[in-house]
Amino acid sequence: MSGFGGFVLRRGIGTVITLFAISVIVYVVFFVTPGNVAQITCGPRCSPEQVHQVAQQLRLDDPLYLRYWHFLQGILVGQDYSTGTSVEHCSAPCLGLSYQGDQQVTQLILAKLPVSLSLVFGAMVLWLILGVGTGVLSAWRRGRFTERLLTGITLAGVATPVFVIGLVLMIVVCGQLQLLPFPQYVSLTDDPEQWAWNLLLPWLSLALIEAAAFARLTRASMLETLAEDHIRTFRAYGVGERSIIGRHALRGAFAPIIALNANNVGSAVGGAVLTETLFGLPGIGQELVHAVNVVDLPVVVGMVLVIGFFVVIANAVADVLYAVADRRVVLA
Amino acid sequence: MSEALVASQAAGTDISVPAGSGARQFWRRLRAQRAALVAAVVVALLVLVALAAPLLTAIEGQDPFTYHPSLIDSARGGVPTGSFGGITGGHWLGVEPQTGRDLFARLAYGARVSLGVALGATVVQVTIGVVIGVAAALGSRWVDQLLSRITDIIVAMPLMIMSLALLAIVPSSFPRPLLVALVIGLIAWGNIAKIVRAQTLTLKELDYVSAARLSGWGTWRIARRELLPGLAAPVITYAALLVPINISTEAALSFLGVGVKPPTPSWGQMLTAADVWYQAAPQYLLLPAGALFVTVLALTVLGDGIRTALDPRAASRLRIGTGRKREAKADASGKKVAVDASGKNFAADADSGRSTLDPSIKTIKSADANGVKDANGEKEDPA
Amino acid sequence: MRQPSIIARRVAVASVSLAVAAGAAACGPKDNDAKGSGGDSTPHKGGTLTVLNSQPQEDFDPARLYTSGGGNVPSLVFRTLTTRNRENGAAGAKVVPDLATDTGRPNKDATVWTYTLKKGLKYEDGTAITSADIKYGIERSFAAELSGGAPYLRDWLVGAADYQGPYKDKKGLSAIETPDSRTIVFHLNKPEGEFPYLATQTQFTPVPKAKDTGTKYEQHPISSGPYKVVSNQNDGETIVLERNTYWSTATDAERKAYPDKIDVKSGLDSSVINQRLSSSQGADAAAVTTDTNLGPAELAKVSGDKELAARVGTGHFGYTNYIAFNPTVAPFNNVKVRQAISYAIDRSSVVNAAGGSSLAEAATTFLPNQKSFGYDPYDLFPAGASGNAAKAKELLKEAGYPKGITVTLTHSNDKDFETSPEIATAIQDALKKAGITVKLQGLEINDYKDKIHSVKTEPGFFLAHWGADWPSGGPFLAPIFDGRQIVKDGANFNTGLLNDKSVNAEIDSINKLTNLDEAAKRWGALDKEIGEQALTVPLFHPVYKRLVGKDIKNVVISDWTGVLDISQVAVK
Repeated sequence: MSGFGGFVLRRGIGTVITLFAISVIVYVVFFVTPGNVAQITCGPRCSPEQVHQVAQQLRLDDPLYLRYWHFLQGILVGQDYSTGTSVEHCSAPCLGLSYQGDQQVTQLILAKLPVSLSLVFGAMVLWLILGVGTGVLSAWRRGRFTERLLTGITLAGVATPVFVIGLVLMIVVCGQLQLLPFPQYVSLTDDPEQWAWNLLLPWLSLALIEAAAFARLTRASMLETLAEDHIRTFRAYGVGERSIIGRHALRGAFAPIIALNANNVGSAVGGAVLTETLFGLPGIGQELVHAVNVVDLPVVVGMVLVIGFFVVIANAVADVLYAVADRRVVLA
Repeated sequence: MSEALVASQAAGTDISVPAGSGARQFWRRLRAQRAALVAAVVVALLVLVALAAPLLTAIEGQDPFTYHPSLIDSARGGVPTGSFGGITGGHWLGVEPQTGRDLFARLAYGARVSLGVALGATVVQVTIGVVIGVAAALGSRWVDQLLSRITDIIVAMPLMIMSLALLAIVPSSFPRPLLVALVIGLIAWGNIAKIVRAQTLTLKELDYVSAARLSGWGTWRIARRELLPGLAAPVITYAALLVPINISTEAALSFLGVGVKPPTPSWGQMLTAADVWYQAAPQYLLLPAGALFVTVLALTVLGDGIRTALDPRAASRLRIGTGRKREAKADASGKKVAVDASGKNFAADADSGRSTLDPSIKTIKSADANGVKDANGEKEDPA
Repeated sequence: MRQPSIIARRVAVASVSLAVAAGAAACGPKDNDAKGSGGDSTPHKGGTLTVLNSQPQEDFDPARLYTSGGGNVPSLVFRTLTTRNRENGAAGAKVVPDLATDTGRPNKDATVWTYTLKKGLKYEDGTAITSADIKYGIERSFAAELSGGAPYLRDWLVGAADYQGPYKDKKGLSAIETPDSRTIVFHLNKPEGEFPYLATQTQFTPVPKAKDTGTKYEQHPISSGPYKVVSNQNDGETIVLERNTYWSTATDAERKAYPDKIDVKSGLDSSVINQRLSSSQGADAAAVTTDTNLGPAELAKVSGDKELAARVGTGHFGYTNYIAFNPTVAPFNNVKVRQAISYAIDRSSVVNAAGGSSLAEAATTFLPNQKSFGYDPYDLFPAGASGNAAKAKELLKEAGYPKGITVTLTHSNDKDFETSPEIATAIQDALKKAGITVKLQGLEINDYKDKIHSVKTEPGFFLAHWGADWPSGGPFLAPIFDGRQIVKDGANFNTGLLNDKSVNAEIDSINKLTNLDEAAKRWGALDKEIGEQALTVPLFHPVYKRLVGKDIKNVVISDWTGVLDISQVAVK
């Protein structure tokens, strides 16, 4: 078991185990969470008989292990369900049906995922530029005005919750200065230009939160490299400062930046709840919070699994990139 | 004092100087950094304000809970009637819209909750992280597999969602700030565990640890006597980063309606309530936002300072893997001996880490790939 | 029962099923003080109206909707037997014919109601609307797959209690007869003079059986109204409506339908919605919202700006926020304790917490302060604006608590909501002067609802609210105070556990009245009579402030919904 194939296999098995454990935990946690699911689904004024019918409809009366088994079956072989007038098939891997809207969870996720991915990858570009840029400046040109300003901005980004930054940005930029439209998700495939304009503020808000970590990481890595003997030797030989920074110091920071970035991207796919909520972006995070509040277990499990999947994959990608960046690392 | 300077000189100067007591050396190095000192004073002040909140508000003659309906304009949504948000001699920072409660008192008492929750959560995270991380690194292959898998699961679970669920399960009679601290602590320890595991693996291979093992010390004795001191630098540094992250998490939980409950004030809750007021009553938003900013700034600078003071050679112990490499390189340049407080000799052989890329080192490096990326893993969720 | 949020809600952390049902939260100019700012205020046809909402229209199936008077966006697509009068203020609280030629013809004791459909009614595909389709629409609302509607049909129709809907029971409901394609007859198991009000609900929308796709129907419900669904994406988050060319003003006197197209965009943060309306850039100039009110902070800002203030309408909706007692729990089993708290309450504190005097009116009656409910402005335990501490202390002493009393108030942890910690904290403050120490017990929203609506777990002292299913005392008083509506093994709303024979008899007696004005007066009197028992402490009736885009004309807000009626709005 060596080489890339072995790595993929081991990571694959690890991923399946992790996701399995996550789904079990979510099932158990939500089983003990208060909230009468059938009553919530049926409506507040439903009679006990109606609630009972809905509970049967949703298989809520089954014991927990049976419900979980049904869920696993759906993933492996799919699941049939009734719309009342006809029988539909939800093909494998079927994550079940939403309690609230009778939608297939897989379809729900597919509808929300592009939004979350658009948000996260766009923000990623900005946080890398802002974070790494600030980091380079603060390692290289420490104490200058631009450096101090950028460091201040990134730290303010960490210190201020996104619902404050985002709202103030929106009111100023969209409301008062009218430089940008109020964000409203437009699909990338429909209109790439509108997609970017509408997402600019959400990207910026999310990036401001993340940038500080990159700035600090970049700075730390660069300082470390700059302190090394070979850099001194380069300097002694008169190699230009720009070249030292660009070719050597920054390269040293490359691997950890990739690692941090992969992790952030992975968890932001479902974790940017507040950004999505504030800007009205119909992404995974927003839907998940909604599902938690109405105890819509199939949606919660499905979305948590997708998020877990992205985190695990992002970690694996980080390891691969880490190995590419530093050939001495063996993938394990 | 520029940290860059410390870092750039570290490999050469510091080690050549015979060190005094570890603690004394630490204070000496910390004192040498003016920014860190200022930050330490600010942090101390914040803690003092939090602790002395009852005294300070007594001096002001207010408390955080009393409503002052006469100070707000009910017909205009409850905006404070006085200028600058109702600032007077009796209300140093003005009053809260809608209730007329004293803002200084709420800010001071809020510091108790916010700092308390953040510190409490950090203690829980660090404790779990260190125990799991060290156990994984020192335990058998199966123990490591099991604990690492559990850590992966914890990291892959969305923090916000699990918090929402857990906070709904626990009975409302449980003290809320303690609960919030526990929930954050119990869910978000994955990254620190990874860092500790990676660092322990690195330390484990160092000669003095190997020597201790060869001389028949038990695992826990090694962990306690030899490894924990070596873990202090990265753990403290990371913890300094965790405190502000936890403050924002508390704010985010408040925003989602599951944080600390009114009438108990917290900065997060104040921010949540205040953001819509930013046009009508700006100081209501600016006060908690400013307090949070100062706290984060001070903790960040102080964290940098502590890190530098603890371990001047590896300016960033967060990057554990490279730390091992650099250390070896530094030693390769000829400075061989450093003596720590207890007189243990921990000279690393010049060549062991650098040229012989033995399998254990490779494993460590790969583990670092997990460890490194965690500098702010948890922060995602409050986004 | 609808739950419009008082203060615009920030996150959808709430009782979503209900909030969605509302589709209406509320506001508008009661006195018609909001007019388009353009020089020419005459509405014209054409243009695109944008609707910016916080809650998506997740349910767009007429069977699943729980709305008052047919809802707002749904009412553009669904016509019902009767509907609400689309006029400003109190005139809007009247029921008028929609698909039917009149508001219904009762038999002598109001147990049989007959309706005749207007001639020439058509769906969006040009086929004729028949009475059988209305029967089918009602029947499918009984299916467990399509749950969510109000309980009245099940309670009122003969033999409907156990009916499981047309998918499981092909025979259908025998309580509804369709002797011909334009006539429909309802048989009720007891007299219900307010049946015309019930017939405004979306369950009375015709659904062609051949087009029924069960749970998928909401993706494209067949329109009987002025607009049809062109697209419905992301579970009701973005909806585009365009003209239904088969709809005609000749058969619909209520809906004006000025715009050619309606764009519904939801899932937005409430502060963003208000900011967009106030900026009125681009398409937002022709925008309205049907579920977001101005919050206190926004009101503070808007009130200082003349141009904006002119675009704010005020709306009222039958709604009461109150403290509920469970009289089986000590010390609330002692009427003197309940009275003491009623005297002690400092309502101005509570009103401030709810957004101040512009967003909430102090309440001393359980019934909303509107004529159609039979409002009688009684104040049985006068507390004044800031509480009558002396009288409260005296009563507590009589009750055996000379040193004051400590009680626990249960509330939900949902913020920006009527039962929020903020309101609870204000009550804590509002009772302090009278020597009543209030401890708070905050529960997560689902836990809170389960607890307060279960006879077994109901706390002694908690925050509650009630909204009108239609503007009359019936649906306001009966679920809360009718002893026969106590539900022992399910969701119970008679939280005072009142089972008083004379109250029950009076409710039955009023239900027989088909003269709704006369009924209103009797409901008002009954409210006062029940009030004597001090089972609730009425706190406040919300007032809704709503901002509209700068090009919006013909703003109509009725007291029925308190919501700007989008069937009346013009953008040109």
